[in-house]
Amino acid sequence: MSVKGVKEESDQLQRERSLAVRANIKRFYIYVVLALIVILFSVVKLGQVEMFGRGHFLSPASVINLLRTAVPIMTLSGAFTLLMISGYIDLSVGSAMSLSAVVFALMILNGFPFLLALVIVLIMGIAMGALNGLLVMKLRITPVIATLVTLSLFKGIALLIVPGGLSAIKGSAEKVMPPWINFYARKAVLLGMPWAFFVALAVIAILVVVQRKTILGKYAAAIGGNRTAAELSGINVVRMGWLLYVIVGFFAALAGVARASYMSLGDPLSGDLMELDNIIAVLLGGTAFSGGEGSVAKTIIGALIIMCVTTGLMTVIPAYWQTVAKGSVLLLAVVLNHLLVREKVKA
Amino acid sequence: METKQEHKNTVGARLSNESFLTLFMIGVLVVLFGAACAVVPNFYLPQNMLNLITNNWFIIILGIGVTFLLISGNFDMSVGGVIALTGVLSAYFCQGANVSQNALANGLGLPYGVAVALALLCALGIGAINAFFIARLKVPSIIVTLGTMMLARGIGQVITRGAQRNTSLPDVFGVVGNIAIRGTSIKISVVIMVVLVIAAFIFERMTVPGRRTYLIGANAEAARLSGITVGRHLTFLYLTSALLAGITGILLASEFKAGVSSRAMGYEFDALVVSLLGGVSIAGGFGSVLGMFVGAVILSVVTTSATGLLLSPDWQFTLKGIVTFIAILAQRFALDRRKG
Repeated sequence: MSVKGVKEESDQLQRERSLAVRANIKRFYIYVVLALIVILFSVVKLGQVEMFGRGHFLSPASVINLLRTAVPIMTLSGAFTLLMISGYIDLSVGSAMSLSAVVFALMILNGFPFLLALVIVLIMGIAMGALNGLLVMKLRITPVIATLVTLSLFKGIALLIVPGGLSAIKGSAEKVMPPWINFYARKAVLLGMPWAFFVALAVIAILVVVQRKTILGKYAAAIGGNRTAAELSGINVVRMGWLLYVIVGFFAALAGVARASYMSLGDPLSGDLMELDNIIAVLLGGTAFSGGEGSVAKTIIGALIIMCVTTGLMTVIPAYWQTVAKGSVLLLAVVLNHLLVREKVKA
Repeated sequence: METKQEHKNTVGARLSNESFLTLFMIGVLVVLFGAACAVVPNFYLPQNMLNLITNNWFIIILGIGVTFLLISGNFDMSVGGVIALTGVLSAYFCQGANVSQNALANGLGLPYGVAVALALLCALGIGAINAFFIARLKVPSIIVTLGTMMLARGIGQVITRGAQRNTSLPDVFGVVGNIAIRGTSIKISVVIMVVLVIAAFIFERMTVPGRRTYLIGANAEAARLSGITVGRHLTFLYLTSALLAGITGILLASEFKAGVSSRAMGYEFDALVVSLLGGVSIAGGFGSVLGMFVGAVILSVVTTSATGLLLSPDWQFTLKGIVTFIAILAQRFALDRRKG
C-alpha cells in the first residue's frame, strides 16, 4: 500500500464510522417514530380528557379498538414485505381483500359453517395470488400493470357479487346475517382481543421466522438484490416469485375474512387503498424500494404507525383530512426511506 | 380489413413497430366495431359513432401525458387527483367572498381567469412534487404518484369538506365547459382534445425532445451518457402531464358547474388502460399517441356496447381488466409474429 492507500484507508475508516451511525439510526428510528406519535396523540387532548381515561388515546378501550382495526393490515403487511423485498409489488391486495370479504359474508349469510367458508375463501386467495404470479412471472407483464389489471378485475367481481341496489352483502329482513359472524374478529376472547388478533400475531411470528431463518427469505432478498445473479446461482426465480404472490394472495384473503367478520358485512370497497397502507408500512419499515433488503418485523411497526396516525387524527381533526394526511405520510415515508436506506444500498 | 392486410404486406417492412401496432389495433377496432354494430341496436348511427370519441375527451387528454411518461418508463397515477384538485380550486377561487353563512359557499372572489391560472399553477405544483421525487430522488414513480394522488385529492376534500362547492359561482364559470361549436353538439373541450392530440403527435414524431423520450425509456443510462439531461426531461414530462390533467379538471368543473372532490375517481387507471390498449409499453421506449387515441376509441366501443347490452355499470371494472389483459397479450403475440 502506498501513501494514497493510507489516505484511502483513513477515508474508509471515516466512511465506516458514519455508516455505523447511520445503521444505528436506521435500526431504531422506527421505534422512536412510533413512540413519538403515541406520545403526541396522548398529550394533544389532555385538556379535555383524563390520562388513560375515557376517550383518551391510550385508554384500554381505544387501544383495543385500534388493534382490532389494525388486524387486516397486520395480517397482510408481513407477506407484502416479503414480496417487496424480492423487488415485486402487488397493487391488487386491496381488491383481493374486498372480494374475499364479500365472498365470505355471502357464504355466511347463506348458512355455510365458519370453517368451510374460511377454507373456501383462503383457496380463492391462493387462486388470486396464483393469477398475479401467472401474469407477472410467466407472462412477464410488468408487476405494476399486471396487478393494476387484477385490481380492476377483483374489484369488478366483488361489485358484481353484491346485488344491485345494495352497498354491501349484509343481513336483511328475509335473510338474517348470523350474529356469530363477528366472533372471529370482534368478540373478545383474551385481554379484550378477538381471535383474529392472535391469528395475526401468529402470522407475524411465522413470517418473521420465514424471512430471517428460512431459504425463502434469503431467496427473496437475493432476487430483489440482483435478479440475474439469483437466476445464475440456481434459484428458480419464476417459481419463487409465484410462491410469494400466492402467499400475498392467501393473507389478503385472510385479512378480508377479518374485515368482513369485524364489520359483520361484506363491503366491496372495504379494501380500497389497502395497497397504499401496505406500501407506507413497508417503506417506514426501511425496506428498499428496489428490493434486496427489508424486515417483516419493522413493517409491522410501520403498520402500527399508520393505524395510530389514522385513528389518532380522527380524534383531532375532521374526517375529510384523512386522505391528505395519508398522502403526506406516504411522501414523508418516502423521504425517510430515501435518507436512510439508499446510502446503504450504494455502499 | 382485407385492404389493410394487403397494405401491411406490401409496405410492411418499412413500417415501424409502433405504426404496425397502431394499424393492428385499428384492425381490432374495426372488428370490434363491426361486432358491436351487429349485436347492439342502433350502434351504427353516425351520432353514436361521434359520441364514441366525444364522450371520452377527458381520458384522451389525460392519456397524452400518461403515454409520454409510460414511453419514458414512468407512471403517473396522480392525474385523477389533480383533476379533482384543480376543479375544486377553480371553484373555490372564484366563488364570491363573504356571501353567505355557509362556509362552502364562500370563496376568494377572484375573477375567473385568475382563478383558472392559479388552479393550473397548483396542478403544476403537484407535477413538480412528482418530478422532484422521481427525477431527483430516483424513487419509483408508482409509489410517488400514488402518494401525490392522495395528496391532491385530499387537498380537494379539505377545501370542499369532503363534498362539493357549487353555489355562488359566477356565470362565466360554466361557460367554457358547455359551449358547443355552432350548429353541432361538439363541445369546445373536444376541440381542445383534438388540438392537443395533434400537437402531441407533432411533438412525438418531429421534435428532438419527443424522440429523446423514447431513448430515455429504452435505456435511461445510455440516454444520460449520450448527453441527455434525463432528470430535466422527466420533469418536463411530469409538469406537462399535470398541466393536461389541470386543464381537464377545469373543463370538467366548468361542465358540471361545480368543484367536486370525488370527481375523476379512477381516471388514472382509465388513462393507463387506453395507453396500454394503444400499444404503449412500460418496458422500454415504445408506443405512440396515435395508438393511445385508437385505444381510447376501442375502450369506448367496448364499454358503450356493454352498456347497450344492458349490463349493469358494475361490469365496467371487470370488463376493463379483461380487455386490457387480452390487449397486452394480443399485442405481444402480434409483435412476436412480426419479428419471427
